[in-house]
Amino acid sequence: MTNLIKELGNTTQFKNIFFRMLVVIIICIVLSFLTEAFFTTNNLLNVLRQASLLFLMASGLTLVLLTAGIDLSVGANVGMSACVAAVAMTSTGSTLLGFLSGIGCGILIGVGNGLLVTFLRLPSFIATYGMLWILHGLTYYMMAGTTINGFDKSFRFIGSGYLYGIPVPIYIMSLFLIGGSIFTKYSIYGQQIYAVGANPLSARLSGVPVNRRLMLVYILSGMTAGLASLVFLARLNSAEGDIGENLTLPAIAAVLIGGTSLFGGVGTMFGTLIGALILTLVLNGMNILTIDGNYQALVTGIIIILSVFLDLIFRRKVSS
Amino acid sequence: MRDSAINLENPLLNSLKRLPGVALMLLVCIVVFSILSSDFLSIPNITNIGVQSTILLMISLPMTMVIMTEGIDMSIGALLTFCGVIAAYFLAQTQNLPLSIFMAIMVGLVVGLLNGAIIVYMKMPPFVVTLGMLGICQSLALIVTDGQTISNVGDTIGLAYNAKLLGIPLPIYFALVSYAIFHALLYHTRFGTYVFAIGGNRDSLKLAGIRVNIYHIGVYALSGIMAGVASILLTARMNSGHPTAAIGMEFDAIAAVIVGGTSFEKGNGWMFGTFLGVITVGILRNGLNLVGVQSSIQVASIGLLVLVALLLDGFKAKV
Amino acid sequence: MKNHRLLCTSAILLSMASSPAFADGEKIAVFTKNQTNPYFQAFRLGADSAAKQMNASTTHYVPTKPDSIPEQLGEIDDVIVKKPSGIVLIPVDYKAINPGVKKINDAGIPVVNATDHAETGNFVNWVGADDFSTANAAGKALVKALNGQGNVVILEGVRGVVGNTNRVNGFKKAIEEAPGIKLLASQPGNYQRLQGLQVMENLLQTYPKIDGVMAANDAMASGAIEALEGANRKALVVGINGSKEAVEAIKAGKMLASGDAAPFYQGCFATMSLIRSIRNLPVPKEIVFPPMVVEKATLANYDVAPDKQSCPAWNTIVK
Repeated sequence: MTNLIKELGNTTQFKNIFFRMLVVIIICIVLSFLTEAFFTTNNLLNVLRQASLLFLMASGLTLVLLTAGIDLSVGANVGMSACVAAVAMTSTGSTLLGFLSGIGCGILIGVGNGLLVTFLRLPSFIATYGMLWILHGLTYYMMAGTTINGFDKSFRFIGSGYLYGIPVPIYIMSLFLIGGSIFTKYSIYGQQIYAVGANPLSARLSGVPVNRRLMLVYILSGMTAGLASLVFLARLNSAEGDIGENLTLPAIAAVLIGGTSLFGGVGTMFGTLIGALILTLVLNGMNILTIDGNYQALVTGIIIILSVFLDLIFRRKVSS
Repeated sequence: MRDSAINLENPLLNSLKRLPGVALMLLVCIVVFSILSSDFLSIPNITNIGVQSTILLMISLPMTMVIMTEGIDMSIGALLTFCGVIAAYFLAQTQNLPLSIFMAIMVGLVVGLLNGAIIVYMKMPPFVVTLGMLGICQSLALIVTDGQTISNVGDTIGLAYNAKLLGIPLPIYFALVSYAIFHALLYHTRFGTYVFAIGGNRDSLKLAGIRVNIYHIGVYALSGIMAGVASILLTARMNSGHPTAAIGMEFDAIAAVIVGGTSFEKGNGWMFGTFLGVITVGILRNGLNLVGVQSSIQVASIGLLVLVALLLDGFKAKV
Repeated sequence: MKNHRLLCTSAILLSMASSPAFADGEKIAVFTKNQTNPYFQAFRLGADSAAKQMNASTTHYVPTKPDSIPEQLGEIDDVIVKKPSGIVLIPVDYKAINPGVKKINDAGIPVVNATDHAETGNFVNWVGADDFSTANAAGKALVKALNGQGNVVILEGVRGVVGNTNRVNGFKKAIEEAPGIKLLASQPGNYQRLQGLQVMENLLQTYPKIDGVMAANDAMASGAIEALEGANRKALVVGINGSKEAVEAIKAGKMLASGDAAPFYQGCFATMSLIRSIRNLPVPKEIVFPPMVVEKATLANYDVAPDKQSCPAWNTIVK
């Protein structure tokens, strides 16, 4: 019986994936048609690398949304963790310390968010919103309008390096994609997370340690933000107070476009990847086609609405 | 507000306990800043706080209703900006104040209706739809102005923000009237009852044969209209139209609403709480400026305020 | 180790301004646009240094939301209540600030305008450099280094901010005046390092031959440099701000030049003008810093970071 269900599950999953990829493919076709600069190896690698930065941030965020929560602090988290890592690296000269402090900072922020949501029972929107402001304030205070730059080549490798001709962030993204998918689909933690999002009460009644799982997703969200901050830092080769400022909304948009629902229980890691790809492709296309800056937000806004709309139509068709 | 089983001996503490978190924060802020700054309780300063809070209040009131219907309007900051730009544009082109006001409110209404229609008829999540609309409005504002400030708006519009009636600045009247309207709408009309129900118990409405969709769209339309109205004040305040003037204000509005006690689930809402939330944030910012606190600390304090206000609510429920 | 603000203890050691030392303690309110742009940080440090030298004190007012016009107007309202001795004002937007300046004038508080010319109002004087000519000078340096031939891209800042519009126009003018230079594209990077990097990456994909990059600020210029290195391509890059990072990049040969609007000196002289005016000392109507370009040849002037500098004497600049 369970085997049969698994089979059915697989075909729907397959259709899901196929359809989402369809949107990406359509965008690629349109862009290739409009300009020959798009469909080159270099540009495609370029797009993938840019998408990986976005995806890294959005991967942990996906888990939070699966529990019907939201983490508005991811951007500020990336900003603060990057600055902390930069300070650690330049003041001690140790790349390892930079890594540890960046990830550590991200995790700590995640713990903070988790405590606010589970122990203190604040709605996640407000808890992470408050955290966002606090983090921004701390980061500005710490950086005081200055920039830290110039990091070790070994550190910079994770952001700007290449391995067999492919940019390193793409490998990191693949690792996260595979790891994240396995975690969400096949681990007991993942299944419990979906359950919490779909119906916290029945999850609790069936023995899921809801608070511990909630704590877990916020910590993971913080951790991926911390990791993403290191890749950002390595790519940018410098840290300033405002790194995190415009990162949160695109990350949330990527997760939502990917089919994850704000109400929890629905969504996949792969969907988030597709969402990240779509957003990155659109920006790439606009730059290559030199679309006037005034129109870029409009194009992005319409794409966001359209993508989610198409995704919803498809899902309704499949379930009917 | 649940009373605990244990009654504290101290009557003062008891009545403080009954106050919602936001009211407590408000009191704390007032007390602290009165001590730290001799200018805080002066009439000019209090008037300032009231006037400065008006625009935010005007967009937070409809946001309360939107959130009560388990929705959200992420586009209201960008819409406010866009409407302000429209008002300035028409003023600069025609010097016709009534026309400009009309156009600004119209644009707000149209966008609000669009938001509502897409959310309700295409059954899409409000966050996504309004997030997309945010980008659209932002672009439209940039396109109309081509990135420049429009400033030849004439002298009359500034009066909306600066003129006084009986010694009290006009914006305060606007704020009070807006509040009265929304209070009445929510608590004394059928529309308001439906708003409670859309968030909490939509099916019962449908069963009663009520055209829920119209009212649901209406909530977003209201949001749009208020963005249009508030944009007049914004343009008056700056005496110009600027394409990025109110970007990001939606977060302030949402925070004020939630800090005020309205929550995303179950159609639970408190209009007066929103009012308190807006005033508290206004007082905090003003107080920090008076004391001369460094900007980065101000940023962190706003986050803390938001958290503490809600923590107090949660804490009180446990004690 | 991150220090918040180094107090310029070294300021005391340098030659003092020729003005007599009055018994003072003037309280100066300094308004800047945001917390993160090193340009404004340098300005604030200059203002602090000047005030310290002249026995006055400064308090800084910076919007918590970067470049927020309503917030700056609100800060002005709050500061007027405190009645500072004087105000140094960098308006977020030179037109939208008009009502704010009017309020300052009506309150009788002396005010110096810095960096961006406010459209109207009574000021003690204006201290600044010109975004347009600074960018133009940086652009010309690039054109010269390319020998008047080549393909160029522009990385713009934030649409809707007048400083950005002026900078981009300055760049474009330099390109227009060189018939052999072709402008391939002008795309916004929003003054952000990451966006500058990614936009540059995208442009590199489109155009196989890019010889020069004009970036509206140093952060985007750095991003462009990273993108070029990452793609193994070469191009000459100029930025604007003359920040410490740009100086180091120019030293290392990675960046060609950066337009310097002398924000530290602007801060110094704006504050000095204000204090002198309060003390009834003569002050010129305008102090305009000529557009300067930091490049290999002029590096010697830029060896000291802003937080270690102190203001030069008044009569070194003002004759």
